[in-house]
Amino acid sequence: MIEVTDGGRWTTIQDRGRPGLERFGIPPGGAADWFAARVANELVGNQLDAALLECTATGPTLRFDAERVVAVTGGQVGSVPDWQAVPMSRGSSLALGAIAPGLRTYIAVRGGIDVPLVLGSRSFCHRGSFGGGFGRCLAAGDRLRIGHMVGQQPVRDPWPPSHRLPLRGPWEVRVIAGPQVEAFDDEALERLGATACRVTPAIDRMGLRLETPALRLQTQEIVTVPMTAGAIQVTPSGGLIVLHVDHQTTGGYPVIATVITADLPLLAQARPGDTVHFRPADAAEADRALNRISGWLELDL
Amino acid sequence: MWQVAPAGDRALLITVGTIIDPALLGQVLALDRVLQDRRPSGLLGTVPAYASLLCHYDAEVTDAARLEETIRQLEGKVEGAIPSGPVVDIPTRYDGPDLPEVALKTNLTPAGVIELHAGREYLVYCVGFAPGFTYCGELPDQLKVPRLASPRLRVPAGSIGIAGRQTGIYAVESPGGWNLIGRTTLRLFNPTADPPVRFKPGDRLRFVPAP
Repeated sequence: MIEVTDGGRWTTIQDRGRPGLERFGIPPGGAADWFAARVANELVGNQLDAALLECTATGPTLRFDAERVVAVTGGQVGSVPDWQAVPMSRGSSLALGAIAPGLRTYIAVRGGIDVPLVLGSRSFCHRGSFGGGFGRCLAAGDRLRIGHMVGQQPVRDPWPPSHRLPLRGPWEVRVIAGPQVEAFDDEALERLGATACRVTPAIDRMGLRLETPALRLQTQEIVTVPMTAGAIQVTPSGGLIVLHVDHQTTGGYPVIATVITADLPLLAQARPGDTVHFRPADAAEADRALNRISGWLELDL
Repeated sequence: MWQVAPAGDRALLITVGTIIDPALLGQVLALDRVLQDRRPSGLLGTVPAYASLLCHYDAEVTDAARLEETIRQLEGKVEGAIPSGPVVDIPTRYDGPDLPEVALKTNLTPAGVIELHAGREYLVYCVGFAPGFTYCGELPDQLKVPRLASPRLRVPAGSIGIAGRQTGIYAVESPGGWNLIGRTTLRLFNPTADPPVRFKPGDRLRFVPAP
C-alpha cells in the first residue's frame, strides 16, 4: 500500500489510455508525456501498460508501508534522484515538491498502481469523471494498492541524458498540414510556421490555448468533424487551441495542422509563458522522429 | 468527391461533404460498416461524425497512401441509406434556464417552443465532444438561435440544448454553449455498460414532454 499524504496540484493515475472509444465521445487519454511515462515503467521493470502517477506543477507526498522500487521521470524535481530506479524503504516518504523545468512528472512503482480497469484502462478520464481508481485526481488519505505487472528486473543505471526529450522551451513542434488546411488562405500554414506562439495559463490534459497576436488567421466554423490529439484548432477570433490526450472527440473549428506523435510529449511539458514554434513536416519526417525516440526505449541498459 | 486528408501521422480524415444532410451521414455510416467488415490491414479504428469519418491506423503496418487507396476504391459503391430503426422517446422536462430567452428570440411563447421542439423526430448525427454527448438534427427553422455569447462552465448531465439547426443532450457534466431548454433523467453514458452510450449515429429519437 502507498498512502497519499498530500495530493499535490493535480495528480492522476494514468496508463496508455483507452484509444478506440472516440466514437462514444470518450477521449483516448493516457499519460500526456507518453515518452517519460514509458521510461518510468521501463526503469522499474514494469509491463508497458502498468499504471503510474502523473503529477502536475506540484507533486504529491507519498508514504510507503512496504519496500518498493520507484522511478521518477519527466518534469524536473529536486527532491529525489530522477530518471533512475530508486529503492524506497518501508515507512519512508517521498515528497515530490515543485516541478520545473517541465510541467508533468511521472512516478512509476514496480508492479504498477493497481486500480480497476474501466473501459479497458486504468487512466482517469476527467471529462467523464471515471477511471483512475477514484474517478477524480488524488487527495490526501487515498491508499494505492500495488499490482504485479512486472516484466523484467529494474534497470541499474540512470537513463542517459542523451536519450531524454528537452524540458525547456522554446519548443520546436513539428506538424503535418491538415486535415482542414484548405479552409485557410494559401499562405496560412507558412505564416503559422513563422510565428512564435505563446502558451497561456489555459492548459490542461484536454488542450492548450496559445496566443498568437501577430498571426490573425481568418476562418469560419465548419460542420462538426472528429478530432485527434495534436489537432491545432483555429477559433473564429484567430486564437489557437492545440488538443491533447484528453481532447474533445469532435469539434467545429477547422484544424490547420496536427502535431506529430513524437512531439506530443513536448506540449505536455510546456508551461504558461513558454514559446512554441510549429514547423511543417511530412509523414516521412514524422516516422523518423518517432523511430528515433522509440529506438531509445529499446536500449539494452 | 470524397476528400481524404491526413489528421496527423496516424490518422486519415475522409470528408464526404460540408453540410448537415442525412444522405451524407448515410454515406459515412455505410463506409464505416464496410471498413469494419473488411478490416483493411493496419486500420485500428474509426470515428464517424456528420459528414466525415476518421480512420486511425497503425503506421508500422500501413501508411496513409495505402489506406487512402483502399478507401478510394469504395467511393460511389457504398449504400448511403440509413437503416430504419425504432424511434426512442426521451422524457423531457422543459424547464431549461434559456427557455424564456429562446422564446423571446424566436417570437414564440415557451409553450410554442416546446411544441415545435417536441413535435418531430430527430436523427442522431454524432456522439462526440464529451462522453455520450448526442448531437441531433434538424430543428425547424423557427427554432434556429445562435449559441450563447459566452459558454457556461458547467452544464448538468441530462441537459437538452439547441443551437443553430441542432439539438443535443449533454450526457455528462461539461462546459457548454448551447441554449438549455430542458432536461431528461435518461442516462446516456455509463462507463460500466457495454456499449457505454445510449445512442449511436443513425439512431432516431423524439423528445416527449414530461411533468
